[in-house]
Amino acid sequence: MTRLSRDTSVPWVILMAEAAAKADRKIDLRITTPRGLKFEEKADMIIMRCIDGDMGVLRDHAPISAVLGDGILRIINDGVEQKLALFGGIVEISDNTVDIYSTIAQRPEEIDLERARRDKEEAEAIIMEETEELKIRSMQVVLRRSLVRIEVSLYLDEENEISIGNTNDDEE
Amino acid sequence: MNSLRDIKQRIGNIDSTKQIIRAMDMIASTKLQKVRVQLEGVRPIYGNLKRIAEELGCHKDAHSHIFYNNSSIESNDTLYIVITSDRGLSGSYNANILSKSYAHMNQEGVNEKILVVGSKGYEFFKKRNKHILRTVTDLTDAQVYYVAESIANWLTDYYLSGKVKEVYIAYTHFETVLSYVPYVEKLLPLSCSGLKEYFDRKYEPDVKTFIDHLVPIYLHMNLFRAFSESHTSEQAARMVNMSSAGKNAEEIIEDLTRMFNRKRQAVITQELSEIVGSVSILNKGELDG
Repeated sequence: MTRLSRDTSVPWVILMAEAAAKADRKIDLRITTPRGLKFEEKADMIIMRCIDGDMGVLRDHAPISAVLGDGILRIINDGVEQKLALFGGIVEISDNTVDIYSTIAQRPEEIDLERARRDKEEAEAIIMEETEELKIRSMQVVLRRSLVRIEVSLYLDEENEISIGNTNDDEE
Repeated sequence: MNSLRDIKQRIGNIDSTKQIIRAMDMIASTKLQKVRVQLEGVRPIYGNLKRIAEELGCHKDAHSHIFYNNSSIESNDTLYIVITSDRGLSGSYNANILSKSYAHMNQEGVNEKILVVGSKGYEFFKKRNKHILRTVTDLTDAQVYYVAESIANWLTDYYLSGKVKEVYIAYTHFETVLSYVPYVEKLLPLSCSGLKEYFDRKYEPDVKTFIDHLVPIYLHMNLFRAFSESHTSEQAARMVNMSSAGKNAEEIIEDLTRMFNRKRQAVITQELSEIVGSVSILNKGELDG
């Protein structure tokens, strides 16, 4: 699984996004959930987590449909980065429009941080104890999701940012 | 038989029935608003996923996938998912969807299996000795989303295990508060919409994995939408029926009140004429005396 480590995120992502911002070449992002069109915005660059690793989208991207995994959706527009928690779904890229269809998409302010932390602890405890493969798998999903939620939620007050990199190793 | 007291009692009865009808009307209309919001929310994602799934059906790599091509399934059974309500008092809502789905079944050489939602549908198919695989009743509004998810997962497994060749869903499509149409739609195998002849679109990581992930989400959204459509139609039907029942009750009360007044007047008139009669007899007696 190819995965960007967190440290590389700062320089090249921002550089590329800045270049895109200068050229004023935006992409339209739309997120549709079962509660309707949830999010509609312009962006210079979008980075999303697919099932086989991160995928970045700039303008004039080839038409691609991909499967999303559980992860953070990073939206960079005019040097400002927004983060959303996105769990599963389908992305459809065409004509500089990125359409995301997902069952769960949460903004930082919508995340119950306390609950995410609780889920994380419970999942970690169960993984340590449990021997049944299926149960561990499902708990790993819970753990992964709670970590994504915590990271996205903490992004609101940037200084508190925690690293998700280490704990990622629980996956697979 | 129609004594004054009887009529008064009947008016009282109908009046309390009317109050119940009113309450049900109000409940139905608030519920209608809620489920309508839910329905409006799910329609876009359903429509788009359906489009993606059908476009993908025309892709050459998709033709052989089991979700699009059922020729590898030996079973000749058809699964029907029929969505009805748990309670009546919604006019022809249940009768319409049941007769529509019943007419769609009973084809030559096809063995039906039924997943029924709502006790009305369960009773209907049980009476007709159909093979009911699974019954879902007493669905509350908050559960609908998760129940749709679990049924979608179950359905995916069931289909992949090769136990059914085709899957149909029978639901009531909500158009306006006054119009809802029962539909029977094919759920699986998916078809090709045939609009896109050429393919410049790429699928990541590959078409097969994409289909494997797309179809469960699509089925979940499709079921959730069908539930919402049916739920909305049910509440709308109940609301409309309750308001017409309310009108009926008012009419009956009006008639009964008129009858009551006439009767009362008749009694008064009778009493008066008796008094006048007796007075005149008395007077006569006086004159005579």
